[in-house]
Formats: sequence, C-alpha cells, structure tokens
Amino acid sequence: MSQIPFPTVPKFSASQAARPMMARDADAMFWMSRYVERAEHVARLLLVNSNLLIDVGDLAPKLLQQQWQSVLTIMRTEPATTGEGPARDLGPRIAQYMTFDGDNANSLLTCLSRARENARGIRENISAEMWEAINTLYWSIRSDDAPARFEESPDDFYRQVMTGSMLFQGLTDHTLAHDQRWLFTQLAKYLERIDVTCRVIETKFSILQSAGGQMEAALRNIQWMAVLRSCCSIEAYRRHYLGEMDPLRVASFLILERSFPRSVRYAVDMAHEATAAIRNETGTLSIDPAERVLGRLNAQLEYAEPSEILKEGVPAYVQKIQSEIADAGLAVQKRYFLY
Amino acid sequence: MFDQYQVDGLFDEMFVAPGHPRPHYSAVASRLKVLGSSAFNKRVRMADVTFRNQGITFTVYNDKRGVEKIFPFDLMPRIIPANEWDLIERGLVQRITALNLFCQDIYRDQRILRENIVPPELIYGAKSFRREMFHVNVPKNIYIHICGTDLVRDKNGAYFVLEDNGRTPSGVSYVLENRAVMKRVFPTLFGAYRVRAIEDYPYNLLQCLKHLAPTKSDDPAIAVLTPGTYNSAYFEHSFLARQMGVELVEGRDLIVDNAFVYMRTTAGLRRVDVIYRRVDDDFLDPLCFRGDSALGVAGLMNAYRCGNVALVNAPGTGVADDKAIYPFVPDMIKFYLGQEAILPNVPTYICARESDRKYVLENLDKLVVKSTNESGGYGMLMGHQAAQKERDEFAELIREDPRNYIAQPVVELSQHPSFIDDRFEGRRIDLRPYILYGEKVIVMPGGLTRVALRKGSLVVNSSQGGGSKDTWVLEEEEPGEEKLPITSGQLPVADGSAKPIAAR
Repeated sequence: MSQIPFPTVPKFSASQAARPMMARDADAMFWMSRYVERAEHVARLLLVNSNLLIDVGDLAPKLLQQQWQSVLTIMRTEPATTGEGPARDLGPRIAQYMTFDGDNANSLLTCLSRARENARGIRENISAEMWEAINTLYWSIRSDDAPARFEESPDDFYRQVMTGSMLFQGLTDHTLAHDQRWLFTQLAKYLERIDVTCRVIETKFSILQSAGGQMEAALRNIQWMAVLRSCCSIEAYRRHYLGEMDPLRVASFLILERSFPRSVRYAVDMAHEATAAIRNETGTLSIDPAERVLGRLNAQLEYAEPSEILKEGVPAYVQKIQSEIADAGLAVQKRYFLY
Repeated sequence: MFDQYQVDGLFDEMFVAPGHPRPHYSAVASRLKVLGSSAFNKRVRMADVTFRNQGITFTVYNDKRGVEKIFPFDLMPRIIPANEWDLIERGLVQRITALNLFCQDIYRDQRILRENIVPPELIYGAKSFRREMFHVNVPKNIYIHICGTDLVRDKNGAYFVLEDNGRTPSGVSYVLENRAVMKRVFPTLFGAYRVRAIEDYPYNLLQCLKHLAPTKSDDPAIAVLTPGTYNSAYFEHSFLARQMGVELVEGRDLIVDNAFVYMRTTAGLRRVDVIYRRVDDDFLDPLCFRGDSALGVAGLMNAYRCGNVALVNAPGTGVADDKAIYPFVPDMIKFYLGQEAILPNVPTYICARESDRKYVLENLDKLVVKSTNESGGYGMLMGHQAAQKERDEFAELIREDPRNYIAQPVVELSQHPSFIDDRFEGRRIDLRPYILYGEKVIVMPGGLTRVALRKGSLVVNSSQGGGSKDTWVLEEEEPGEEKLPITSGQLPVADGSAKPIAAR
C-alpha cells in the first residue's frame, strides 16, 4: 500500500464560509421537523388520554365525552368526522381516527407521511441515520401489520412513535452539522412545541375550570397530572413543587419555567435564538419579523409574574402566545422559503 | 438447495453441468450448501427490511398498488473472474471513446457522413439529433461523460453489447446499495473472495463533474438536476447528490440571468457551474426544446452555449445510442480509432433499409423488435413469444414508421441461479457496467446485473418485473502474497509520551 502524500501547504482554510442553502430545502427541512414533533405530541396525547380513562374507571358519559373531545379540540380537528356510534366506544373510535385516518390532517399517519415525504425530498441534506430513523418510523405505522400491533397494545404503539420521534431529534442534533439546515429544524421543532403546549393548556384549563367544584379532589389531581403528562412534564414538575398539584403552579410551570425544555418559555427562547442564528448565517443585517415577534415574546415571558397570567386568565394568555407564534411561522416562510 | 437445479442447455454462469460449479463459484457453492435454505431465507428477509427502511425504492408508472417499490434484490451474487473483466473493460473504454468522437464529429464536421460510413438520413431522421447542438463548444469536448452499456452473453458464453445508454443511464445507485446491503447481511460470503471495491464511484463521478467547471475555482458549485420526487429514478438522483455532497435541484430552483445559471438559496441567488442533469433533452429548456416543459430551466441552453455552465451528459448524445445507429458502432470504432471492436454487437436489422425490413416482416416470429428511441423495456416485441395478433400490430407499426424500428435475433441470455421459493432456479441475466469519461476513462468494476425474475422471461428491465444482483469482479490472483501480521508497532506508545485513556 502506498502512502497518501500529505500536502505541506493546505489548499483550504479551516474556517471555510458556510454553503448557502436552497430555499426549497429549507422549507422541507422546516416541515419535516415540525411534523415529527407534531406526531410525537399526538401520540402522547392519545396515550395519556387512554391511560387516564383506565385510572379514573367508570366515568360519567359526559366526562368521558369531554375527555376525548379535548384531544380533538387540542388538535383543532372536527369532531363530526369521527362518525356516529355508541358512547362507550367513543374512545376507540377517536383513537383510531387520530392514529390511522389518512384523511385526517392531524392523524399520526398523516403527520408521519408528511414528515417522511419532506425528508424524502431532501435526503441529500439530512444524514443517512436521520433518514433511516424517519423512514422506519413511517413504516412502523404504514406497514400491513400496524393495525394488529395497535390492537394488541396501543400503549406500546404510541410509545414506539414517541421514541421514534426522540431518536430522530437526537440524531438531528448529533449527526447533522449545526448550520442553517439544523437551525431550521430547531426553529420548527420549538415553534410546534409552543403551539401544541399552548393548545393543551388552553383546552384543559377551559374544561377543568368550567367543571368547577363538581369534581372530587382525587379526580382533580389525576386530571392535572394528566395535563402535565400530556406535556411530558410530570417528573420535572414534581421535583420543582414537591408534588403539589395546583392549577396556577401547573400553568406557570408549563408557561414560564426557564430551564425546562418542554416549557413555552424555554421553547420561545430556543426559537428566538434559532431565528437570530439563521439571520447571521444568511448574512442579513436587518432583523426579520419572526425574530422580532419571538424576541418580544421572549422578553415578556422572561419578566412575567404568575399573577399576570391569573389576571388575564390562563386560556386567554396562551391564546395570545399562539397567535404570535402563528405570525412568526408565517414571517419565516415569507422571508426564507418563498422563492 | 441446488438439488433440482437445471442448466437447460443454456449458458449457466455458475454451473458447467448440474452439480459441477465453475472454479470461481465453487467457494460460494460450498458455503451455501453448509448454510441451508432456511438460513438463506432469513438473510433474504433481512435484506428486504434493510431496503425498505433505507427507502431504496423506485417508482412504477401506471401501477395502482402504490407508486414506490423496492427493487427486488436477489441475494446470490454474480461473479466475474479477472480475465473476463479485463476484456470487458478494454472493450468499454474503446466504445465510449469512439462514441464521444462520433458525437464530436456529428455536431461539427460530419466526416463519417461524408465518407458514407453512416447514412445521413439515419442521423437527420433521428429524434434525438439536436440541431441546437451544431457547432456548440462543449466543455473539454466531452459529450458522453457517463455511459451505461448493456452486455449480454449468448449460449456459448460470449459477451455482446446489446445497447449503449449515453443519455442519462440509471441504476448505479442500486449497484452501490446492493453491495452495502450484501456486506451487511452476508459478510461471511466475502471472506472467500477478493472482490474489487466499487465504493469510489461517487468520488470519481464528482471528479468527472469538477473537471468541467468553467471557472478555475477549487470549489465549483455543482448540482444534480432532478425532475422531482415523482420521477422513477428519484432515489438515485438524491443518492448521488448525497454521496457527492452536492446540491439536488429541481428546475424551479434554478434561474438564468444574463446567460449565467443561479440557484435560489435562503441567502439569495448563487451561481451554478456544473449541472449533472437527470432530465431528458426534451424537457431541459422550454425556450429551446419542448415549450410546455415545466421541469427545465428557461435559458439554460443559452447559458450552456455561452460556456457559462456545463451540462452532463451534453444534450444531443441520444444520437449515439439511438438503436438504429447502434449497428454502426463497430464501423465507428474502425473509422475513428483504426481498431476492431473488442466487444461485438448483436446482429441488427435496420427497418429503415428496404432489404432488412423485408426480412424482418417475413421473420417476425424469430426476432426481437425494438423501438429505436424507447428504453426500460417499453415499445418492444419478443417475436417468438408473442401472439400472432401482437406480431401483426407490430408489422403495421414497422410499415408506418420504419425509421423507428430495428430487429435482432433472439439472444438466449445466459442464466444464473436465483433464490426462488426456497431453492435455486436459473434466471436470465444481463450486465450494465458504468463508464465515466472525465480526465481519463474509468470503468466501475462490476455494474448492475439485472435478473428476469419471471421464469423463462428474457426481459430484465425493472419496470417489467426484473430484479438485480450484487456483481463481484474478482481481483487478479497474486501468487505468493504475504499475509500482514497484526502489530501495534506503529502506535506512538513506545516512548511513553502518549497519554493513557481516561478511566475511573
């Protein structure tokens, strides 16, 4: 074997300028990441809801309906489309509709198909590991044996989707250069997380507050725990407040906690950082509208007091955040993807 | 596993006679015997799962069962000994050289027409002849940078060229993925052989593209142009872009301004120097070719003619792989290179010629008829297997447009064992090696071995139910080769200066 000659004067610089990114690729990168995050939230909501109903046993039909209804409300899905049927199989019907229905824009199948379709269009931009993870995840719900596996254990099935999503996100962080491409995946992931978390808080608070004093304390605690579980936050919350279940604490933890990656405050911070870094990478001097919206929101949450949230009302407070996030998403599309 | 294996009077790649493998297959044969069919089956399933999870697929048109399909992979490798490969390699280098000289000539001086080697009416009647390319200065004077030439073997095992693919030959991604999957599921089988590596193909392709950059920059902007995710070969386009680390673009990502080509990025427009286009000539530039094409880039040909961008392969190379021009390739080799063709052609009847046409129409039941401008097994008649009605229809087509058809005697392709329903059966195969013409000509050692998985079928195209195999070209035997001992002598531990690995 001959030795490869080593050039004495390198012909390249270690700090080579970053390669620009195709606008269409950035678009696909963004939506790939966003749909993976969305799928994880849908899977978790369905899982938590199924388990909750096991925990609370024979609920009154009205409460049962309310619980499943809330999943549809959180995912902004029309309830009429789940079809007619007896009340007791309402859960399975909604679960089926939110999992396998290809006509449902927010079903797991749709989210994962769109995530994968976006990934397929930019395979040269993502790592082979990322592609294999997302493709395997897609086939886990798309393959012929998926309904049977779901029947056998919905729990395992949803866990597999959640783990698949986390694997994908981990691979994104550790197999992709942290350049523009990665920044778009981060921005998308955090925007989606803020959006879903806000909708969970909004919906659950509306339901639980309207139920008022009718609910027993034990049942109420289980319900608040379910809210935290839906946001993957139960353990962090327990450590923080030593297990004290209290609506205002739950709300301020999910909205304002600065160090917890599932909180709105943390995600806003990350999304803001990503927009600033993208501006830097693309060599733009002026602050774009998305960065402005997120920067303001970041400052607002940074200095917010729980009492302010209480004064405004939790649902109203998070609704405002949602509309700002929608503005930020549109601004990103307008600035970087429209070509 | 080979108990009921039949050779059927064909040329069998593996067996001289039932139970007697050729020398270069004996190691595989004995390993498979030990393995048994259930273990082999397990590996087949492993390979299928790998292909699915990695999304190694192609798209079939007009198939309702879902557009994305796995290219069936036949785990049994095809083995080519070094001496056979040497002949193939020399033959292919000679052929691509002659085909490039032919393109240069056709689009400039047309000596070969003036000296009546090739009839001018065949050139001017070819749909793939591009007047737009006349007297265009082509970068480095290379037209066909990438060629996939289909080889077959007849009843005696002799190699023939069946056709050249000098436009946008596809399939190379499957060659590379087949090898990768094979290594993953069957590592033990490689142990008995020294198989030549093919993994440097993307690197060689990139060098080939860099060679053409109009600027002298060290870091030219290179892009693969794809029609999009719905194209049957999209997987390959994306695969090659990824392997080379270049951009994958669609027509809508590019824009021509003042005869320069740019792509649209998040930071504005950026110049493109070299385009490996996987879009047909017809769709390349609506201002120059088909006006209704949305896949191409308006003004691209103008930028090309100005020398501001390189296109690979050059437009107009279809004139060299037109099936009615194919019979003249041996004459081209003689005319341009003064050599005899190393790899012979299959005898071909050109329907545009009156005497040939008469023979073809009288002997349709013995011939294979092909449309001169189709590929992928479309527009083809297997005369000996077809019904009388189909033959009559083709006779009518030939009479209507003779220029569009050629005919060849049926080549009884060689067969190779394929794993089918728990045992091995013989299936017909061909071989498509890939040749790169850059600073020098490089032939990838191996290529795509396609298998006609339907029993008795002679059509190997993936769109017609074909599969593929890993193709092993063996290294030359080197007698007395030394085994390398394992030592740690080169590690810098001797003087104690190396830091120990941290542990606790």
